[in-house]
Amino acid sequence: MHAGHYISAAGHLGLIGWLLWGANLAPAPEPFEASDVSVISAEEYAALTAAEIASEASTQAVAPTPPDTSEEAPDIPAAPNEEPPDSTDPMVTQQDDPDQAPDLSGMRPPDPAEADDISPEMGAAPMESATLAPENSERPTPRPAPRVAPAPVAPPEPDSQVDEVRQEERVPDEGAETPAEPQEATAPEEAATEIVTEAEEAPEVAPSASLRPRARPRVPTVGRNSNPPEENTETDADAINSALEEALGETQETAAPQDAVPAGPPLSQGERDALRVAVQRCWNVGSLSSAALATTVIVGVSMERDGRPDVESIRLIGSEGGSDAAARQAFEAARRAIIRCGTNGFDLPEEKYDRWQDIEMTFNPENMRIK
Amino acid sequence: MMAGFMTLFAALTAVILAVAGPAEAQERGPLRIEITEGVIEPMPVAVPDFVAQGGAAREWASRIARVVADDLTGTGLFREIPSAAFISPITSFSSPVQFADWKAINAQALISGAVEVEGDGKLVVKFRLYDVFAGQELGDGLRFSGTTEGWRRMAHKVADAVYSRITGEGPYFDSRVAFVAETGPKDARRKRLAIMDYDGANVQYLTDGNSIVLAPRFSPDGQSVLFTSYRSGFPRIYLLNTNSLQSRALEEQPGSMSFAPRFAPDGRTVVYSMTRGGNTDIYTLNIETAETRRLTSSPSIETAPSFSPDGNRIVFESDRSGSQQLYVMPVGGGVPERISFGQGRYGTPVWSPRGDLVAFTKQSKGRFHIGVMRLDGSEERLLTASFLDEGPTWSPNGRVIMFTRETQGAGGQASLYSVDITGRNLKRVRTDTGASDPSWSPLLK
Repeated sequence: MHAGHYISAAGHLGLIGWLLWGANLAPAPEPFEASDVSVISAEEYAALTAAEIASEASTQAVAPTPPDTSEEAPDIPAAPNEEPPDSTDPMVTQQDDPDQAPDLSGMRPPDPAEADDISPEMGAAPMESATLAPENSERPTPRPAPRVAPAPVAPPEPDSQVDEVRQEERVPDEGAETPAEPQEATAPEEAATEIVTEAEEAPEVAPSASLRPRARPRVPTVGRNSNPPEENTETDADAINSALEEALGETQETAAPQDAVPAGPPLSQGERDALRVAVQRCWNVGSLSSAALATTVIVGVSMERDGRPDVESIRLIGSEGGSDAAARQAFEAARRAIIRCGTNGFDLPEEKYDRWQDIEMTFNPENMRIK
Repeated sequence: MMAGFMTLFAALTAVILAVAGPAEAQERGPLRIEITEGVIEPMPVAVPDFVAQGGAAREWASRIARVVADDLTGTGLFREIPSAAFISPITSFSSPVQFADWKAINAQALISGAVEVEGDGKLVVKFRLYDVFAGQELGDGLRFSGTTEGWRRMAHKVADAVYSRITGEGPYFDSRVAFVAETGPKDARRKRLAIMDYDGANVQYLTDGNSIVLAPRFSPDGQSVLFTSYRSGFPRIYLLNTNSLQSRALEEQPGSMSFAPRFAPDGRTVVYSMTRGGNTDIYTLNIETAETRRLTSSPSIETAPSFSPDGNRIVFESDRSGSQQLYVMPVGGGVPERISFGQGRYGTPVWSPRGDLVAFTKQSKGRFHIGVMRLDGSEERLLTASFLDEGPTWSPNGRVIMFTRETQGAGGQASLYSVDITGRNLKRVRTDTGASDPSWSPLLK
């Protein structure tokens, strides 16, 4: 306790003492050299400099320094008849003016080059060749980023231990009589089968065709029972578990009849559109009543492999919006459309027959009805 | 925290599976496509001559088939395939139909019929309707019998059955039309009350033409006709029995004029307009008790009343708003509700037999139109346009409207036209004279 006071007091005293006497302890300044200075008048200085300039101008002509430009001036050959500049300009003789041009009387223009009537030989003009612009401009390759740091950095502390052999993690069992030594799980470092550097990777190119967004699946609501959702009184956790089970169960249910799954790729949107256009070309609603025109029907049909509908299989699956009589009229018009335009077979890919073996067509006359 | 992450992961997984599951399942079901666009064109139909079963029936076999074909093609919904294109004519009513032959000429419907004259002189007509492409019969075959004088009605019955079976609409071919037959120049025109088949055949005149007659209206049973006559020098309402041709005045109040009558659906009540003291209002009259009741009492002109099919409301025209518009009021009177709000003047409203539409005459920008609108005034559609179109009347099935069209000028003449409520198939109804003020009868019994 007291020691601290003593130390503090000593420190303060030292500081005060340094402030008071520290300046006297500074080293002595360096000694200055003294020299004599003579003063001359302006006239004397002009006389001295004029004599010096006149002697320099009479011995050499110095062209004014051109402005410093980055571009080099093109070589201009001297004209053979060009008169040399007049060196007898009286202004040049005024040597007392330092801004005047120097005396160039001692300079002679270069001898004019002899004119030659022989025209220079001209080489054959190079064959004109059109340069086609590349169809696709090459994309600039991005400059590879330096992969090596300029300065070595110490490797970070490894999170996991890399070992030559694989060993499982061992945790001491509390109930064991002889507690085992705890051991972390280790494994040799995983490696790829080949080394592929970034430089060897193929540059990405733009796709040749844009991917069309997948059409929203049409879920016909006609003729289907839409059960209202049951009240859910479960907790969140239970709800999540039940939803997970339900989803997994449904997946397993749908995955069970894998043997009945149609083989081959599904019909493309273009193939489906072609079928739709083919049917609607024969769907004549001109002779339907206004009630039938307000009725949507779903018609099922089984198809032959040659694309023709099995007439006997055409059936009414469901209807919406009208009476039974109206649904019957609408179904008969739809059936006529399927049979008429399917007489020679619809243009469907045979390799995807399993996909269109059974078709459900929804005939919705909403756009055709009288409004 | 780990438990919370697992819960969130499970929830996301469930959502993804729930969304992906049905889509995948749908891929595995039948191929589904939706047809939303079709074509509107007449259906090709083959109507070969009916088979004459016996020599006496030969006279009717072809004529009945022609009337059937005319009825169907007259709707604009069917197109008859000429007989020259037939590959295998029907020679026997009971023989199986060679559908391939009819399919080859694109006949979508085939009517096969037979005619027979029985020993008592009755004419028997039977027919079957086939869906050629489906290769099956549409509905059951029908058989009608009647006198030989009624052969046209039997043909209309056959056509009605075919029309209803294919289109789903109610029948209307076996019906009649009352109208005013007009002869002579415009300034001295002779007007007679007449009735005819819906297609203009079998015209029968009911009055002699000594007095001007206007606006005939059929009774719900089709046995009588209301009309307005100037027989007494003033317009009066008369009731005419179409069988006995006996008529009587229904309303004779001194100093008044009555006109624009129309039956209520019950057939006992008549609604009409009466002008008394310079004011025109709407009244009802019980034709059995002669009891009258005033339904409107506005200083404006209220006229052209028409009952709703259920008999609970009345649509009429009134200029109470300053221009001629359409209003609906309860059958017992009360505050009318305006239903027309378009530009122009609306008049002669007629309630559709289906109850869903009102047909009217509209005058706008110097042109006359026949149009339809819903009872709330929505979905107004103008079906025609000409120098003068007026006086619509509904077919019994509510699909077709007949009206008067008058040409311009001193030599202008009135004639009857019909149009589908879609606005298609506008055509003139064949009459031997000028004709106006049509009233379509209910379907004959």
